[in-house]
Amino acid sequence: MSDVPTSPSGSAPAPEGNFFNPEVTRRGLIAGAWGAFAAFLAGGAAATARYMLPNVLYEPSQRFKMGKLKDLPQGVTVNKENRVWVIRDDKGVYALWSRCTHLGCTPNWFQAESRFRCPCHGSNFNVAGDVIAGPAPKPLWRCSVDVTPDGDLVIDKSQMENRPGFRDRGAFFIPVAV
Amino acid sequence: MPSVNELKEKLINTQIWRSMFRGGTWKDTSRDRAQHILGNVWLHLHPARIRQRAVRFTYTWGLGGLSFGLFMILTITGILLMFYYRPAVELAYRDMKDLEFAVSMGLFLRNLHRWSAHTMVLLVILHMVRVFLTGAYKTPREFNWGVGVVLLVLTLFLSFTGYLLPWDQLAIWAVTVGTNMASATPFLGAEGPFSSLLGVNGSNDARFALLGGTSVGANTLLRFYVMHCVAVPVVAGILMIVHFWRIRKDGFSAAPLAGDPPEKKMEVWPNLVVREYIGAILMLIFLVGWSVLQNAPLEELANPTVTPNPSKAPWYFLGLQELLVYFDPWLAGVKLPGIIALGLIAIPYLDPDPKAGVGYYSIKERPFANTVFLFGIGLWFVLITIGTFMRGPNWAWYWPWESWASHKPLPPPTWSLILVNLDGKMGQFFTSQKTAGLQIPGWAGVGAALAAAGGLFTTYFGAGIVLPKLVNKDLPFKKSVGIAVIASVAMGVLAKTAHTFLAKYDFIGKNMPHFGVTEIFYIAFFLSIVIVMGFLLPQRYLRKSPVSLVQYVVTMVLLLSMLGVVLKMGARLGFNIKYLFSLPGLNLNI
Repeated sequence: MSDVPTSPSGSAPAPEGNFFNPEVTRRGLIAGAWGAFAAFLAGGAAATARYMLPNVLYEPSQRFKMGKLKDLPQGVTVNKENRVWVIRDDKGVYALWSRCTHLGCTPNWFQAESRFRCPCHGSNFNVAGDVIAGPAPKPLWRCSVDVTPDGDLVIDKSQMENRPGFRDRGAFFIPVAV
Repeated sequence: MPSVNELKEKLINTQIWRSMFRGGTWKDTSRDRAQHILGNVWLHLHPARIRQRAVRFTYTWGLGGLSFGLFMILTITGILLMFYYRPAVELAYRDMKDLEFAVSMGLFLRNLHRWSAHTMVLLVILHMVRVFLTGAYKTPREFNWGVGVVLLVLTLFLSFTGYLLPWDQLAIWAVTVGTNMASATPFLGAEGPFSSLLGVNGSNDARFALLGGTSVGANTLLRFYVMHCVAVPVVAGILMIVHFWRIRKDGFSAAPLAGDPPEKKMEVWPNLVVREYIGAILMLIFLVGWSVLQNAPLEELANPTVTPNPSKAPWYFLGLQELLVYFDPWLAGVKLPGIIALGLIAIPYLDPDPKAGVGYYSIKERPFANTVFLFGIGLWFVLITIGTFMRGPNWAWYWPWESWASHKPLPPPTWSLILVNLDGKMGQFFTSQKTAGLQIPGWAGVGAALAAAGGLFTTYFGAGIVLPKLVNKDLPFKKSVGIAVIASVAMGVLAKTAHTFLAKYDFIGKNMPHFGVTEIFYIAFFLSIVIVMGFLLPQRYLRKSPVSLVQYVVTMVLLLSMLGVVLKMGARLGFNIKYLFSLPGLNLNI
């Protein structure tokens, strides 16, 4: 018993070894094992979180046709089925996604007041999509618009823009005279 | 012919009956009664004997026990409803109609389930209020109070997930609004602050995981069904076990022994158990009557393309929905509820006196705690009342006696006090759609706007925290309240005077075209609430109380945040101020 050397405090002597050839202590091994178990649990949690995100969605297509561009009337055309408003003014055509930027309700178009009003929290938007009253923090999103060679208007809701200066040109605006 | 009592005695002394209950031959002694409680798996969460004060109905109002009773009713009716309900978009609404018109007792069971759910939410809230008012959250019950707050949140979540299942218009739009708040979560929501740093977008954020898609659809229905019927009840059940276990281990009731010599204890069997049964039976009678007389609402089939106008959440969420009028979703939908829940859990650890007013209603012994808590609960129910009775089509303000058919003027345009415009590199003050307000161009303007906003919030919270400690003398309370009200009215009149001189400038005149008695009233009303609740009350009661510095600061931050909500409501309702500070580039709007 007494011929076993111990440090004054009674604890085990510090392990020797280097990075490439580490000295494995009992305590270190157990700590490593617990660490591995914790890592396994963390990995399991991450995998479970990933499992909750589906890879394939059975949702309606984001890209759809809206009939001939030349038949599109002046002003706001409400398309409930695809949840868009298509607007034709003096300068051209653009499309707004009918989804309030506050919490996702569908606002209604009020022709007489020339504005969209959301029933959920009372946000108001003008024809350009800018917030004019209520709690919505951002302008309405504009969808990408295009014309097929045979004159069909195509709207793509997977591409959106709402910043002034960007939303009124490029893919988000079709400049056509009345 | 043997009497009923003889038959009863014969029955309970048969071998079969005695084998079900531990304790041998029943002699109805005090020991037998104690043994009956201790030896029975269902009853042993009770102590064998209990102080009489703890059993008094007006002490607990039976709220905790009734909440559990409601959970049992909901479990049983819920399991029965599951036999006829299929969580698929094409089937769910038809199954609801079948339950209503083709299944015997289906309508009644659905009514009972719905009305029990409403009652449970109300009773759980009232249970929390009761526990607070009787100081029953104090040492050693701090942890169990926290468990209770989590159970309250789970009760609301259970109700929320159940709300989608009928798949009617009410269902999908309430859930659309509710789940959209998840996308405002910082880091984890696509529209929340900082999420872009982590590559979070609409196809991998918290809302997407909750919905199982980008909009409320088939996956959402299935997910909410599983959460409502299995996942959340299991978690809530486990927490209920912890909750009840801790009640038992922490002394069952906080009601103190009274009198000298101490009052006699009473036997739980049969005294308390009978009371519990009577409470449960009365509640059941009430719910059955309600379910016979009134049908649970079922609107038309869910239609993702048409939002009902107005679209209202269930009553207990209408406070939140109303709050969403005054604040951006990341504040009203995520941060404020988070602060409320965490603040509630923190209450026992902020209480400076673990002994004052434990086990009885003690409004006068704990004036600060009770006033602030009841103010918060009252504020919540004021918001619920506004959302329920004062909001009509387009969420416009309708008094309860006004017809929703009457036409309301358009909502007035709103404006922002301080706006940091990163795109145009400038700071803007008093800005709106109508006027660009005061502009300071360049980075200097951005810096000035940031400094002004920082100064505004630092002054509010800093002064709010320091002042109650700084004014170190006893103020006559009632007189001070009077002075505070007069000063608030004077501030209103002062603002009116300033307005008459400044109205010729666009940045005032266009944003606030009208400034009259109503506006003076708004200033006086909201300002006096903040002075009384935020200064006079803590100055009187917290200044000399033995709170530690950390406790004091946390308490004041929570109190000032609550009053900040009140102030912002006043700013919005009275002056159409949308944001005190707005930084659109980072989605940071307050």
